[in-house]
Amino acid sequence: MAERSLLNQLTGALRCLPGVGPKSAQRIAFHLLERDREGGLRLAHVMADAMTRIGRCRRCRTLTEHEVCAICANAQRDASLLCVVEQPSQVVAIEQAADYRGLYFVLGGRLSPLDGIGPDELGLGQLEDRLEEGIGELILAVSPTVEGTVTGQFIADRALSHGVRVTRIAQGVPLGGELESVDGGTLALAFAGRRDF
Amino acid sequence: MSIWQPSRHGAELSPGFVLHRRDYSNTSLLVELFVEGRGRLPAIAKGARRPRNPASALLQPFQPLWLGVSGRGEVRTLTRVEGEGPPLGLSGEVLFGGFYLNELLMRLLGRDDPHDRLFGIYRDTLVRLAEGFDLESGLRRFELDLLGELGYGLTLDREIGGHPVSADSWYLVEQDEGVRRVDFVPEVPLVSGGTLLALASGDSLVDGQRRESRTLLRRILAHHLGERPLRSRELYRQLHGSRSG
Ligand SMILES: [Zn+2]
Repeated sequence: MAERSLLNQLTGALRCLPGVGPKSAQRIAFHLLERDREGGLRLAHVMADAMTRIGRCRRCRTLTEHEVCAICANAQRDASLLCVVEQPSQVVAIEQAADYRGLYFVLGGRLSPLDGIGPDELGLGQLEDRLEEGIGELILAVSPTVEGTVTGQFIADRALSHGVRVTRIAQGVPLGGELESVDGGTLALAFAGRRDF
Repeated sequence: MSIWQPSRHGAELSPGFVLHRRDYSNTSLLVELFVEGRGRLPAIAKGARRPRNPASALLQPFQPLWLGVSGRGEVRTLTRVEGEGPPLGLSGEVLFGGFYLNELLMRLLGRDDPHDRLFGIYRDTLVRLAEGFDLESGLRRFELDLLGELGYGLTLDREIGGHPVSADSWYLVEQDEGVRRVDFVPEVPLVSGGTLLALASGDSLVDGQRRESRTLLRRILAHHLGERPLRSRELYRQLHGSRSG
């Protein structure tokens, strides 16, 4: 059998990107080869570097090429605040959108009783160490799914047993959202979390 | 118009629950459903994880739903989903109880076997637990009903010979042999007549009865579950110490 052409290998490899099917893969491959070889080379180089060198922060488990990520290493950040999120992408989202100066802890998922995802998979022992070191407030930013609730309740129990104040980010009607287009669960949470006007 | 539009017009919708869900491709969910009149079945909710799609928030365990399902193959397509009221408010221990029920159904119920009576029992159990009915009594009652529905029902208020169980005696209970009164202590743990009568009547269990019935039902269920441990029970034990549903 003839070896697959390099072009075929490239389009095949591009399909590992989320949302990229055979047609888009082909389009991207032709674009890079015909219009932007320099960009393609840069992508290949950074991609290889990132895939081999990026690991997890020893303190917060977010993605970083260093032993400790830039946020954890920053002495200006308020170490008395710890925000618990599910994914590294949420750290980035909060950093970009919110005026938050505390630290993070990345679970990498949520407790899933039927999938066998337990405390070890989520680094909860490591989180326990952080609680033992002493923090002032733990902010739960886990998704409001049933499994997120299980995860949040467990972490809140542990934090409270260490005498740590626990808060949860507010959930509710999206900015600019029409009340009637919001699903019932969100509306119920928004109602339960109402504040003085 | 989106297929998720909340309207019951033109589609056969059945009451149902999500037993389990996981991500499927970039934007969809693969859900295991328990649907009245159809039983347990897998279905794909296409595009449910797209931003602003209310289906993702609805397709969660313990949320009573109206579901429209089409297709005949191995995996069906979810065509419509609507909330049938607010989610059942399970939390803490009781939430783990709910996951335990779901796991039992996933493990013991064959697919596409309607089990209509069981659907009602499942829904009533969740509602009772959400309303604060004693968790252990609720779980035991469900386990007994589930066994009965699967064809392994146990008669607990009478001995094999038909003699009524007495609250003050001790009994040996086996899946195949039923209830037998004993005066000596064998290796298998004995169950008091009082516990058997409470289980048979569906009453709330008190103190020692909880442990006895938990041990009994776990031993009986183990025949049907096989070697693989229940993950919800394992996780509960890991998180909360040794007690478990
Ligand atoms: Zn870090």
